[in-house]
Parts: sequence; C-alpha cells; structure tokens
Amino acid sequence: MRIAVLGLGAVGARAARQLASSDGVDAVVLRDPRPDLVAEVSASLGAIAVAEGSAADAPPDADAVVLASPAGHHAEAALELLERDIPVVSVSDATDDVDRLLDLGPLADARGLTLVVGAAFSPGLTCVLARHAAGEFDRVDEIHVAKAGTGGPACARQHHRALAQPAVDWRDGGWQRRPSGSGRELCWFPDPVGGADCYRAAVADSLLLVNAFPGVQRVTARVAANRRDRLSARLPMLRPPHPEGGVGAVRVEVRGRRGDLRGVRVLGAMDRPAVAAGAVAAAAAVLAARGELARTGAAGLAELVEPVPFLAELAHRGVKAAVFEGAAAQA
Amino acid sequence: MTMLRRALVALGVAGALAAALRLRGSGGVPPQGGGWRELSGPDLR
Repeated sequence: MRIAVLGLGAVGARAARQLASSDGVDAVVLRDPRPDLVAEVSASLGAIAVAEGSAADAPPDADAVVLASPAGHHAEAALELLERDIPVVSVSDATDDVDRLLDLGPLADARGLTLVVGAAFSPGLTCVLARHAAGEFDRVDEIHVAKAGTGGPACARQHHRALAQPAVDWRDGGWQRRPSGSGRELCWFPDPVGGADCYRAAVADSLLLVNAFPGVQRVTARVAANRRDRLSARLPMLRPPHPEGGVGAVRVEVRGRRGDLRGVRVLGAMDRPAVAAGAVAAAAAVLAARGELARTGAAGLAELVEPVPFLAELAHRGVKAAVFEGAAAQA
Repeated sequence: MTMLRRALVALGVAGALAAALRLRGSGGVPPQGGGWRELSGPDLR
C-alpha cells in the first residue's frame, strides 16, 4: 500500500511515523508547504518515505490520503481527492470542516469510496470509545464527551477558536446552540490528568456521534479550559502557541438501557493528543486503503470501524483506552 | 444627571458581578469512589 500524508505538523508527522511501521504499507508519501519539515520527517522515516514537498500540483499517487493540514480547507482537498477515486482520512476537528466533509458523503458513496471524518483524538478516538461503550446497551440515550489538552500549534489555535464560537448540543432530537464557555462540568479524566473543569465549545464530536447513534436523546461535547482560556477566547491569542502541548485525555460517558435497566459506562484515554491523533489517523488510513471500513460515504469512526479490533490496534500502537469503574462513574 | 450616573454604576456593578459568576461557574463533585482501569487482554478480544 501507498499512503500519503498531507501536512506534517504534530499530528501529520506522527501519522507518517505510524504508517511507516504499519504492516502492508510500502510507501508513505509526504507533502507539506515547509520543505525543511518534509526533509526532516523523510529522513526520520528512511527508505519508506517519498518526499514530494508542496511542489506537486496533482493529488498524490496513493491508495489513501491522510489530510493532516491545519483545519479550514479539508473539504476542498477531500473533494479533489474523491474526484480522483482516492479514499480520504481527515483529522480536522473544526465544526465547519466536519460539516462540509459530511456534505461530501453522497459523492463518496456514489464513487464507492469512504471519507473518514474527524479521525483524530477528539473526535476520532472519542467516537470509537462511544461505539465500544454503546455495545453494553440495547439503546443509547445520552453521550457526553470531554477532552483535555491540545497537540501542536494548529490544535492550540483551533482550541482557542472553539472557545469563541457557539457550541452545538443535541437535545431531544434537535440541535441547540449554546454559548461556548458555558456549562461548566468537572470531568474526571484518566490519570495523570485527573479532574478538570470542562466547558461547552465548538467541537465536532456531537456532529459525528448524532449520525452514528440514531435515536440518541442528548449528545454534548466539552473541552477543558482555564479562566485565562475563557477570558481571552474572543481576543487574538495572547502569546504564540506552544510547539506541542503536554499529556491530554478524553472521556466519553454513555448512558443507555439494557432491558429495563438504565446504566452508565465511562471510557477514556490518556496520551499526548498529537500522538494519539496520529495513531488513530494511521490506523484508519490503513483500513481505508485496504477497503476494510464498514461502509462507503462520509462518516466518523463510530460508524466505520469495529471498536474492539480498532482499540486493540491502537493499544498495539501505544494508545491505551481505559474504563472508569466504581459507584460514582457518572461523576 | 445623578440618577443617570447611579443607573450606570448599578449596571456596571451588575455586569461585573455577572461576569465574575459566569467565570467562576458552579463547581462540581469529584468521584467519591472507583477509578480507571486500562482496557487490555479480554477487554479487547
């Protein structure tokens, strides 16, 4: 297989490294507008890397493409690739991108291709965890997602934007716009992240999860933020984003029914967000290139992968999921 | 004029209080028991 990675930031570089060590991948095509970055990643990958820089105008010759460029123009890039019959995996977590990528579903479906939307840490790993947790129930009533931490600079900028744009919650069969920065909730993430105050923000998990779980009553998504984040969200970033954030985590709470009983299952994961996102994107790209995703069209990972083998693959790549066990699992 | 000034001061104080409360939030309760267990082995088969 030949898989291309467009964009070699914190997530793209990790995805390329994961792909280089994946069974069946013969070549990893690297493209980025920054030639020094292409050369650096290419050198670290060795002979399997095919450095194309940004000079090539035509879409890459590949069995699948990972779009790992900063959020904002993933739909245009995906359209171009789908028109050339190449499956696409997008890591964008921006609601605008995800909305427009999902609109490409009919085109992808008509061409017999899969467009994987939001294949990163959150959304991405969160979608797989939600699907896994939902396996405990006959019917899923509520899904609540929270994320702590950011990856590279593009992720930090997106986090900043997300706290300034309106959030969307799914409630009783309809979308409700809520102010970002509202809805404070103390979420308990896997160690060592622990407890963090999380707030509504314009994150894309809800958009993907509502499609994946027809009949779900409530879906919400929150991000961990401090007071400075919330105060300065509507201003330009006060200082340049860090090259890469520290350890982050995701937490997915699924409420549902089994028979007459109501239950709650809480799953989570802890890792550097860019590392986990790279592993998720690479694993999804391998499945896309092999044609082993559940269906064609545009969708998130909750609709496209079997959660147990996918989580096992991620564990093999070093990204470990966890379950919260205890009487106060919903806290 | 005095009334207008008082009204503006009252509005300012109310706005500042609302902003402080919105930033502070209402708090939460940490889990009182239980903990995280890594999914491995039989969980992933």
